[in-house]
Amino acid sequence: MKKQNRDQQKTELTVNGNGVSRRAFMGYLSGALAAGTLIGPTGSWAQSGGKTGLLRVGANANPSSLDPATGGSGSDHVFLYTIYDTLVAWDFDTLKAEPGLAERWRFTDPKTLVLTLKKGVRFHDGSALNAEAVKINLDRNRGAEFSNIRADLASVDNVTVTGDHEVTLALKNPDTALPLILSDRAGMMVSPAALEKHGGRVDRDPVGAGFMRFANWADGSEVVVSRFDDYHGKDRPALEGIEFKIITDSATRLRAVMSGQADLAYHLDGRQKPLVEKMPTLSGSVSSTIYVYQLYMNMSRKPMDDVRVRQAINHAIDRDAFIRATMAGAGEPAYMNLPESHWAFDKQTAGLYPHDPEKAKALLAEAGYPDGIELDLRGYNDQSSVQMQEVLLAQFAKAGIRGRFRTGTIADMSASYFGQEKTGDMLLSAWTGRPDPSLSYSLMYTEDAYFNAGSVAPPDGFNEALLASRSSDDLDQRKAALAKVQRLVMGNALVAPLAFRQSIVASNDKVTGYRNNLLGKPKFNGVSLKG
Amino acid sequence: MATAVKANRVKQKMVVSRLLQALPILVLATFIVFSLMQLIPGDVAVTLAGENASAERIAQIREAYGLNQPFLAQYGDWLWRAVQGDLGASLLSGEPVAQTIARTFPNTLMIAVYAVLLSVLVGVPLGILAATRSGSPLDSGIMGAASLGVAVPNFWFGMILVLYLALTFKLFPATGFVSPREDFSAALWYATLPALALCTNGIAEIARQLRSSLVEIQSSQHVRTLHAKGLSPARILWKHGLKNVSVNLLTVVGLLFNKILAATVVVEAVFAIPGIGSSIVNAVLQGDFPVVQGAVLAMVVTVILVNLFTDLACTVLDPRISEA
Repeated sequence: MKKQNRDQQKTELTVNGNGVSRRAFMGYLSGALAAGTLIGPTGSWAQSGGKTGLLRVGANANPSSLDPATGGSGSDHVFLYTIYDTLVAWDFDTLKAEPGLAERWRFTDPKTLVLTLKKGVRFHDGSALNAEAVKINLDRNRGAEFSNIRADLASVDNVTVTGDHEVTLALKNPDTALPLILSDRAGMMVSPAALEKHGGRVDRDPVGAGFMRFANWADGSEVVVSRFDDYHGKDRPALEGIEFKIITDSATRLRAVMSGQADLAYHLDGRQKPLVEKMPTLSGSVSSTIYVYQLYMNMSRKPMDDVRVRQAINHAIDRDAFIRATMAGAGEPAYMNLPESHWAFDKQTAGLYPHDPEKAKALLAEAGYPDGIELDLRGYNDQSSVQMQEVLLAQFAKAGIRGRFRTGTIADMSASYFGQEKTGDMLLSAWTGRPDPSLSYSLMYTEDAYFNAGSVAPPDGFNEALLASRSSDDLDQRKAALAKVQRLVMGNALVAPLAFRQSIVASNDKVTGYRNNLLGKPKFNGVSLKG
Repeated sequence: MATAVKANRVKQKMVVSRLLQALPILVLATFIVFSLMQLIPGDVAVTLAGENASAERIAQIREAYGLNQPFLAQYGDWLWRAVQGDLGASLLSGEPVAQTIARTFPNTLMIAVYAVLLSVLVGVPLGILAATRSGSPLDSGIMGAASLGVAVPNFWFGMILVLYLALTFKLFPATGFVSPREDFSAALWYATLPALALCTNGIAEIARQLRSSLVEIQSSQHVRTLHAKGLSPARILWKHGLKNVSVNLLTVVGLLFNKILAATVVVEAVFAIPGIGSSIVNAVLQGDFPVVQGAVLAMVVTVILVNLFTDLACTVLDPRISEA
């Protein structure tokens, strides 16, 4: 199946690459044939199903669940955001925390977080979204046996209702990352009445307080939501509803927009960017996300245990060329774990590793490898990963770093690299990002972190700086603390970041008000349709 | 009269014995699919556990879904429920499998039947034309095109069709589908491009088979006798030629249907059709075995029924078959 898919993709590429004019003759011929032999309903089919106010979206994956606590896939959020509102929201461009269902929050001391809720908010079923409902949700998310997000709320000791619209979270340790954690799954509020009715989970019967209410979900085919007329927010929905068509192949997803079966498609490939830009009837939204391709390093193995070797690897990579060659230019070079527009981006860290093969060679020689090194590399076997591996090997060769990539499925390779076996010196993979950057750092670099394959203790001062970043709720202080974390990470070259993926969204000219966000998971609250 | 009753009894016996034969086939097919699913790397429990899952969480999920049971116990459990008419629900999304099949299979069947009809409607005239002008440039032209038709991959042809008929001329929708149960004429419209993509092989195969059988019959002794008796060539072709090749043709069509049913898997992906083929592909990739099992079961049952129906139709067209 895998092979078939790959062949299919290749063919599409050549088809897309072919100029239409070259085959115009054949086109006219077949067009005439079809017109002559088939009598179709009158009117253009591009408009079929285009009910006014109904946004038709080409989505990339079937949701794993429409219950925020039981789902597991990062692609679920796009659906969930329409049905559920979160306690905390974020700024589209910087991912700074913003008021959501909680109109404000404050840390009365580093271990106590008080949330003040908006008044008058109701769930789709008419029940009130009050402090009691929030407590039921948070307790379910951190305690229920089936909850996939218990770890997200691990720092919460207990939740108490301290007023009709006030909830107080007592924490086990200081954790100022919590507000942004509550902008993710953990902060999506489900109607307690619906939970009670459906036995504690609402995988297929979601009821939230979002701007759309759930209408229908046909697996692998479509998810339909329709306007919630009593929505509280200032972005009272202009749309009558959203129809998500699940189209897993990105080329087909784009075709759906080009030929009018969908108004908007997201998660398109980098190599489709020029195609979107060329079509006069389409508009593309392209912007960075926090999803980053990177080389994970196992620092318990030789020669990766030497910081100079890891620095040499970082110097050996030409990130701009990498993006041009493997992502059709649709990426932002990654010199640290966060993209430039993120609130916690640190310019000084980003300047540490300019492309410099000579310096890489010198560092290797200094580390005792004047003839270069030989590495055991791991990666995935899909077409685009293999392409990235080839480009990296070519860049490495210029700095005296040799090696070979062994490839397999994502599940296999990541399990053998991070799991029990610990095979390979480096793994070419990605980090999908977390709402609060401190989570990314603790999940990747602390000594007992799963994604720290070598289980090597982080550099001195890392844990203290990370704790400091979670102890203050002042943004500038947090930023300074995170910059310190970031300098330790990149200074010691614990990772080789490569490129941030761009979010590429194509829409037709009827769609207005769509904006990309840094998380790369589209929200449609502000969208409306013309005409 | 007596012979008719006898023929009927023979047919009934055939149907019953064929249906009985089908049972072990069904069990075997589902068992093989289940075994293959176990061999595929990857673990549905890891998918279910989400992005930040710990090893304990994964173990817990395995336990909760019975994924830690021995292989035969899991299969036995599935089979026992299936026999009672319970195909279970998707491990990932929780949609009942029976519902998935009821929703997606009509779409796939619609495209497959449409493609078979197109194959017959175009392939038969082409085959007759080639056979009656055997050896002429027209014959070589048709047979050359037929060789090409057999060789062209469906999905590639599908994309060519999309490029011109949907994107350039906007005659047909490029993607998507309308369920035939909701709006039949719209369903027909949406199914046209996929069916066109699927029928190239069918047209070619039918034309080639029909031509070679017809040419063989035309040169047989009894046709020569008919010519000698002074029957018109047209009458010989329609009354004697085609009747003799009809069994052959029907067999080809039956096999073709099964082949097209399998080919929908790829074509559904190209056209983003929510059919049973794409359900199977997605479920396999995610290790969602109840969906795979149920969908394969539905397809196997269909293939068995189509074969049975083909054989029955053959006995009607040629009574010698049931006597044998």
